[in-house]
Amino acid sequence: MLIEYYPSNSFLHDLDVRTKLLGFFLLTFISFIFLSPIINFIIALLVVIIILKINAPLSRVKKLLTPLTPIFFIMIIITGFTYPTENFKTEFSQKIFFTLGIDNSWQFTVGGFLYGITLSLRIFIMVLASTILTFTTPIEDFLQLMKKIKIPYQFAFIITSGIRFIPTMQKKSEMIQEAQKARGAEIGSGGFIKNFKSHIMVLIPLIVDSIRMSDNLAIAMLNRGFGALKFTTDLHTIEMKTKDYLICISELCLVAISIWIKSNNIGVL
Amino acid sequence: MNENLQRGSIYVNLLKFKYKNNVNETLLSLNIKIDSGEFIGLMGRTGAGKTTSLMLLNGLIPHFIEGDFEGDVITNTMNTKRYRIQTLARFAGLVLQDPETQIFGITLENDVAFGPANLGFDRKKISDVVKNSLKAVGLEGYEKRITSELSGGEKQRLAIAGVLAMEPEILILDEPTSELDPEGKFEIYNLLYNLNREKGVTIIISGHDSDEMLSYTDRIIVLENGMKVLDDNPKQLFKDVSLTQKLGLNPPETAIISNSLSKYCLINENLTTLKNEELISLVKNKFNGTKIKITSKNQSFTSPITPVIIETKNLTFSYQEKMNVLSGINLKIYAGEFVALIGKNGAGKTTFSKHLNGLLRPKVGQVFINSRNIYSTTTSQLSKEVGYVFQNPDHQIFSASVYDEIEFGLKKMNLSETDKSQRISEALSQVGLEGFQDRHPFTLGKGERQKLAFATVLAMKPKILIIDEPTTGQDLDGINKMMAMLKELYLSGYTIIMITHNMDIAAKYADRIIVFSNGKIVKDGPPNVVFYDFEILKSASISPPLCASFANQLRESGYKNYPVTSNEFISDLIVQFDGEGNVN
Repeated sequence: MLIEYYPSNSFLHDLDVRTKLLGFFLLTFISFIFLSPIINFIIALLVVIIILKINAPLSRVKKLLTPLTPIFFIMIIITGFTYPTENFKTEFSQKIFFTLGIDNSWQFTVGGFLYGITLSLRIFIMVLASTILTFTTPIEDFLQLMKKIKIPYQFAFIITSGIRFIPTMQKKSEMIQEAQKARGAEIGSGGFIKNFKSHIMVLIPLIVDSIRMSDNLAIAMLNRGFGALKFTTDLHTIEMKTKDYLICISELCLVAISIWIKSNNIGVL
Repeated sequence: MNENLQRGSIYVNLLKFKYKNNVNETLLSLNIKIDSGEFIGLMGRTGAGKTTSLMLLNGLIPHFIEGDFEGDVITNTMNTKRYRIQTLARFAGLVLQDPETQIFGITLENDVAFGPANLGFDRKKISDVVKNSLKAVGLEGYEKRITSELSGGEKQRLAIAGVLAMEPEILILDEPTSELDPEGKFEIYNLLYNLNREKGVTIIISGHDSDEMLSYTDRIIVLENGMKVLDDNPKQLFKDVSLTQKLGLNPPETAIISNSLSKYCLINENLTTLKNEELISLVKNKFNGTKIKITSKNQSFTSPITPVIIETKNLTFSYQEKMNVLSGINLKIYAGEFVALIGKNGAGKTTFSKHLNGLLRPKVGQVFINSRNIYSTTTSQLSKEVGYVFQNPDHQIFSASVYDEIEFGLKKMNLSETDKSQRISEALSQVGLEGFQDRHPFTLGKGERQKLAFATVLAMKPKILIIDEPTTGQDLDGINKMMAMLKELYLSGYTIIMITHNMDIAAKYADRIIVFSNGKIVKDGPPNVVFYDFEILKSASISPPLCASFANQLRESGYKNYPVTSNEFISDLIVQFDGEGNVN
């Protein structure tokens, strides 16, 4: 999986899940309060530096970002054309880059262009920051966090078993596709309707199989004593260390500074 | 009733059990007593009630599965009616057939810890039991591995470890080996044996593995139609080959040979043995000093005169950049041959077969079907020439009736309605499902669904049939019916390629055996050649049919033939000692 935990011993791997989660939300928050791309660009740079520092598998990061690139372009084009000059406060943003169409009715504004970049950077930051979070945090940490906030352990079980069964279902669906092809089905070719129909042939056996599996799963859970007690033993605990507190404080300072900057009307378009 | 029951013992006194939606009772007046530390085999035909009776033992019946339950089951001194399943599970662990649905953790250590964590063991103890359980099943050092990356045999061992971690006194296993190759099977029985002998765990295992049941269990209980019909020492049961067969069980080859020899009075009935070494030394003694009367048959192989129907040239395949899964396979298969592909799991049999209908494409080399390179032919187009029957019929059934299910593949062939229905009824009669046209596929039993999957392939009228492990997990009846059908198809001219782990079946039905090992063909020839190349077989982790190793041990005594089935071997012995036996 692309965003799966990536074991390593970087600084971030060593931090508590709460510190990282707070950092993630705060970075996202900052990227949302500014309209000008400059500050978002700085944050994006910061995120890129972090991802390089945690020894993350860059090929997986690349695979995540590649499909987003066209979306970034489309966003910039749309905002450029659709945001009229009246929306912007600064003179620079009210300028018009170029015009298109009959009587030059389609105006591409500088402000719209910059706003498009800001939006793209927000997505970029969120994707990378969440990737950093999942790369450096094992699933058990999240589950412990859920437990700390009093979510019942059954809920945590649903999440782990969900993740556990992703590869199983993928494999099943591959086997079903093979079985259907071998009897003459053309899967994934032809027009929309045909394609839809061919996927039904995969879906029905997959669903029927899952129902059978779920019965067996229920039995297997009982066999393993699921629900024997009102609690289960934690195999793992999470703990805030001094450095976690220090980082949390600096994260909050960063937000305070950002709000101060924002209130001084810096970073507007 | 409570006659000094011990921990680790089981006492069943069941009047009846009927599933909620069934008309008939699944179990009737079942009386079973199992002592602490016994190793029990539970056998019987498919549908005899084995799984149901195992589910009685840890309270799944009556607590989880609804039905009509009368009687008492006392597991580990606890009446199952009075305790929750989760409580009973602590003392009587149940391992089911499909390991996939018994694994809950993402890593092995998390999975094994699931049970003990549910039971509230403290963390130190959990880490100890996880370590010990993984060690007991031979998965030591795999703690951090991802569960979905394990092989089938490893998954089954992990499922056992998960139950062991709760430190049960009784371990119950429902057909744990049915999906495994012989090596995997052996590992499971071996580890159960060690648990039983070293830790004193009571073991109850169901399955169709007669050979293993004979060598490992203390006692065998046979069910038929929900009733206990036999409860005896495995030697007593298997000695009586006709009784074994009457009960729907596959007798071990040793038993077949030993039994026939005593039947023809070639060995004294009191001397009948089910131990391979003893049996062969008996036969050897018999041979010594006698003149060989058996007419020798040739081991030579004549190439068929029919045209080549499948040819692969330097077929090489790999997944991504990993090692080659298949390397440089050159093979010619002739029309009308019955070929068995053998080799341990992961040797490349299935990967190879999937190239023959284009499900996989070679990285290097070519595949020719009917002398045509199939490089640019889709699997769907090839389905008219090459039929592929998968192991699990449920992976393809999606229609609301048997008729529609078979019709599906025919839709693209531009056939007239009469042609279509003609083909469908023909296919149904080929597999023995006449009259099932309007049934909903999911109301059919597993065996019938497998036949339906077969019919959908046959209706396309391919000349070549590839069948992936047609007998896995089936009882004697199922195996015999399936093989009779394949033989019929073979005799009517189909070219058959069968992937199998069952050497006796390969020897009996195939006229050509191809041995795969590490992605290469290491041996190719008729059964009486292949099964006598002991060195190659050993390197490919295959044990030949028993009679081959017997014949080999009789070479010094002057025996020259190459039998591949017990019957061939026995008839040779009868010729050799004809008349002599009757005198005794």
